[in-house]
Amino acid sequence: MAGNPKFAHNKDAAGEPGMNRRRMLAWFSGFGLFGSAILSAFSNLVFIKPRATYGQPQRFNIGKPEEFPSGTRMALDTRRVCVVREGDKIAAISTTCTHLGCIVSVADTGFACPCHGSRYDQDGNVTGGPAPKALPWYKVSLAPNGELEIDKDTEVEPGSYLNV
Amino acid sequence: MSQAVKPPSLWTNMRELPANVWHSLFRNPLPSDDLQRSSTSFTNFFLHIHPVKVNKNTLRPIYTMGLGLMSFFLFLILVVTGVLLMFYYVPSTTQAYDRMLDLRGTVAFGIFLRNMHRWSAHGMVGVVVLHMCRVFFTGSYKKPREFNWVIGVILFLLTLFSSFTGYLLPWDQLAFWAITVGTSIAAYAPVVGKDIQFLMLGDATVGQEALLRFYVLHVAVLPVIVTLLVAIHFWRIRKDGGLSRPEETATPVAVSVKAVELKKNKTYGLQGFVRGPFTKIGNTPDNSVFAWPNLLIAELFVFILTLAAILTLSMMFNAPLEEPVNVMHPPNPAKAPWYFLGLQEMVSYSAFWGGVGIPTIFVLLLLATPYLDRRTAGVGKWFARERLLANTIFMTFLIVNVVFVIIGTFFRGPNWEFVSPWK
Repeated sequence: MAGNPKFAHNKDAAGEPGMNRRRMLAWFSGFGLFGSAILSAFSNLVFIKPRATYGQPQRFNIGKPEEFPSGTRMALDTRRVCVVREGDKIAAISTTCTHLGCIVSVADTGFACPCHGSRYDQDGNVTGGPAPKALPWYKVSLAPNGELEIDKDTEVEPGSYLNV
Repeated sequence: MSQAVKPPSLWTNMRELPANVWHSLFRNPLPSDDLQRSSTSFTNFFLHIHPVKVNKNTLRPIYTMGLGLMSFFLFLILVVTGVLLMFYYVPSTTQAYDRMLDLRGTVAFGIFLRNMHRWSAHGMVGVVVLHMCRVFFTGSYKKPREFNWVIGVILFLLTLFSSFTGYLLPWDQLAFWAITVGTSIAAYAPVVGKDIQFLMLGDATVGQEALLRFYVLHVAVLPVIVTLLVAIHFWRIRKDGGLSRPEETATPVAVSVKAVELKKNKTYGLQGFVRGPFTKIGNTPDNSVFAWPNLLIAELFVFILTLAAILTLSMMFNAPLEEPVNVMHPPNPAKAPWYFLGLQEMVSYSAFWGGVGIPTIFVLLLLATPYLDRRTAGVGKWFARERLLANTIFMTFLIVNVVFVIIGTFFRGPNWEFVSPWK
């Protein structure tokens, strides 16, 4: 097209073909098509990332505080969380091993993973084995109906308890 | 011509029917001369992937060992057995395991098909690695074959991922914990790790969503991508000038032209080659042979060998099926599929570097290999002296990986502690 005399007047000083209507439309179409492709790829990504999961809910009630007397260390295996109560303070510690995702069991010294031997103390800090970091603590709150609610989507600082 | 041709009688029509149908299906007779041999590539849909002639070096068993073909045939076996297994499989956490038991108990040839699928899957991972080794040690990734090497590396990763997604489907303890461990390794990736894990599992932990996702990836998404890439991989072999081979060192000599009616010094293009009488063309010794039947027989041989090996394995060994999934009782040690045990072994030293850092560097190095190592010496020869450095580096990586896989597979017991397999 650059050689077409009809468009010769569109060449700029360097001899390069400058912007003309046809060229601009080509650029716009290119951007449009390419942009649409990227957007649709992105929308696919959004599509396959579930907004609601059908398995275990991440936020759930576990019962009234009275059901967990002081000194309780009760692992709820299906929920993958351990409810800890000391005096009036209640907390929830994850029982999913930070190493490779197995369920840790409650031991006298804290937690122990049966898969690859990671060990944690009472507060979930790593004391041995391949685990790279401590077990996370989850937010515990009192639901309006008086039951304890654990939110596994919200991690809290280890050592932060709910006072009941 | 003035006389109209008499239409054949009904009786003649019926008598000639089988032959007519046959000749409409196969328009050409079995080749009996070189012209017909060359035209097999043009007249048969399934053979048109073949060149007319192949270099003799391509057919040397010791050169390729048929490894690429073997990977392809294993993929074919996997597709056929996989589709058959789909008739009975349900990707549901409540039904999948029962369906596995049904395959073993009530479905005719169920256990056999499952064995074939399982052993072909493991075999394909192994053979694809060996194929990659062959290509590396013969320097076959060099120009102009750089991009076909890149496609090959992607196919290798897709093979691993296909195998990994299939691993979950029986929904037994082995499957569940292997995928739990495997996806946890992926979660060690910085920034996006957790998101990748969540996208793969469709949930925080391995469950129904993960089973469905892995199923869809395994039976639809990945096979389609692999098929497409294999087609490109094959097509590029032709376009890159066939398989790699040593440079022709012989000095050009005059080759007598067979057909006397042709004028000397006249060169013929492919069209003349096909239409006219066959002649030997060019001024270098012809090191090629016709694809029909030489290449075809070689391919059939590799196919039968592959199929025989898989059938034998499937008759001798049953695919493992452990207890149904019990989330409360992880096995000790919980192990990823064997081809990821090298990763798991490295993860036990350093979570990030072992599981993500080193593998990523390794894959990037593999992808970049043909663009980093561009010397053309020593192509087409196993372990060429000119390629000593490159081969040594690759061999080192290979041995380290294999050693890690072996340690992870055989030498790791409860709590991932070192155990001796001979105890």
